[in-house]
Amino acid sequence: MPGSPGARGLSGSRAPPASPRSARPSRGAGRAAPAGRGHRAARGARRRPRGGAASGAGPGAAAAGTPGREAARRPDRRATHCAGRTAEGRAPGSGGRRPGGMAAAALGAAWRALRPASGLLGARPTQTGDARRRASLLSFWGLVPTRAEPLRKKKKVDPKKDQAAKERLKKRIRRLEKATQELIPIEDFITPVKFLNQARQRPPVELPFEESERRALLLKKWSLYKQREHELERAAIASLLEAQREALQELELTAPELHAEATKRDSSLFPFERQGPDYTPPIANYQPPEGRYQDITKVYTQVEFKR
Amino acid sequence: MAAPTRRTVLGLARCWRRFESPWSLGSRSLTLAAAPSNSASPWRLMGALCLQRPPLVSKQLTPMQEEMAALQQQMEIERSLYSDHELRALDEAEQLEKKKSDLYEEKDEKNILLVQDLEDMWEQKFLQFKPGARITDADVKNDRSSLHRKLDRNLILLVKDKLGDQDVWMLPQAEWQPGETLRQTAERTLATLSENNLEAKFLGNAPCGHYKFKFPQAVRAEGSLGAKIFFFKALLLTGDFSPAVEKGRHVWASKEELGDYLKPKYLAQVRRFLLDL
Repeated sequence: MPGSPGARGLSGSRAPPASPRSARPSRGAGRAAPAGRGHRAARGARRRPRGGAASGAGPGAAAAGTPGREAARRPDRRATHCAGRTAEGRAPGSGGRRPGGMAAAALGAAWRALRPASGLLGARPTQTGDARRRASLLSFWGLVPTRAEPLRKKKKVDPKKDQAAKERLKKRIRRLEKATQELIPIEDFITPVKFLNQARQRPPVELPFEESERRALLLKKWSLYKQREHELERAAIASLLEAQREALQELELTAPELHAEATKRDSSLFPFERQGPDYTPPIANYQPPEGRYQDITKVYTQVEFKR
Repeated sequence: MAAPTRRTVLGLARCWRRFESPWSLGSRSLTLAAAPSNSASPWRLMGALCLQRPPLVSKQLTPMQEEMAALQQQMEIERSLYSDHELRALDEAEQLEKKKSDLYEEKDEKNILLVQDLEDMWEQKFLQFKPGARITDADVKNDRSSLHRKLDRNLILLVKDKLGDQDVWMLPQAEWQPGETLRQTAERTLATLSENNLEAKFLGNAPCGHYKFKFPQAVRAEGSLGAKIFFFKALLLTGDFSPAVEKGRHVWASKEELGDYLKPKYLAQVRRFLLDL
């Protein structure tokens, strides 16, 4: 309904101030909004006449004083309000809460008018009354939320509920921990999708006979070469180790204490880092080109859940 | 007795304090004292330093290796997929074909920069860059005291020391003092060589080789029959001899050139612990 958001907004804004004014806490502030509205409208509509009445009745009720006038205004409003809404039932006690001098008669009339209605409803449970009220309310301002609960006192069950919620969360966390952890993906092993394109395939190359022969022979020669290279390396390492062993033996014969020192582990040796040889040596006084680079490597973190 | 390979005059007047105080094992630094009085070992101990400058540049490929490298490159290209650059080149080749055959509809020329142009640009840029020379001036001049020579090999430091009457080329060494380990002797040698200009990383506590020799009869004294030299390997990190140092006293030699300087038996022992890089 077009008017409803506005109405809701208005009622929302007005509900809190309306509730203290409506001295009907048992009824709840559910009706405070429209009641407030009614109040406001009535007040607004009645402001001038009331003012007039007040001015008229000023000298009359001057003795009553401001509180009296206030009190008079409220039952006055209530009386008119009650008269305006015949379908609404009122609690018996609420009408006569503040009997003012002037409005007592009006109040009594309104009270008597509504009593059969309340009598009708009094036997039945209040839910139907609520439903009726709700129906009428809906017809007025559509989907206005009619429930604005006042602050509830913290009951004893609440901490238990909180604890139960926490327990459920912890259980969920434990289940997650037990499940196998998601492993960090190895980027190299995942083929990017763009390389599955058929257009990228090279046409198969047909080698001539000589070329394939040359390749086969070269591969065989290479394997032999590598084998010899490996043997040479092994011989070199064996010679190194032998020389060291003999030196240590000699040292033991000469000075056992120094030998003990020599065979101790050197903690400063590892970690051992060295830059390997490049193809060309570094250029002296080299000016690298100016510029920045953005490191876009993806960094994955794998959190170790400890139970 | 066979003529000794070396003549060493190690000071007849020097008394050898090796057997004085009892040993105290425990912490490793300077709390080591001399051996118990054990006059059965009259050998003098020396700690020597095998300082190596590791290669800066990779070795030249042998013809076999070159051939194999070329073959592997070719095979890799054959087995690969087209790259973006190659695909672009193929597309442009097709377009050129179409143009030539006059069936080409005039389209907007979006790509002004052809693949060919790009490749030419890259080639130009590469030619403009001058990398460092693998064969340096010192190689050409054969200046053996320079460190910037034979960049693809290990170079070892040799010094010329006066032993007795003669000047002998050998690896830098120093006599072992009681209260230090042999590795510390080698470190002391390094420090005295260059007055703390050279920085090296020692490869462990154990010696890599040894050499023992007996003194000539003339030189032998009561407590010194001969000497045992223990070599410790170290890799040169930074630093060099300052040019003010007297030339001709030190040499950075590769393994093949060691034979030019060292005596045969000494050389034989030293070559055992040097890798033939």
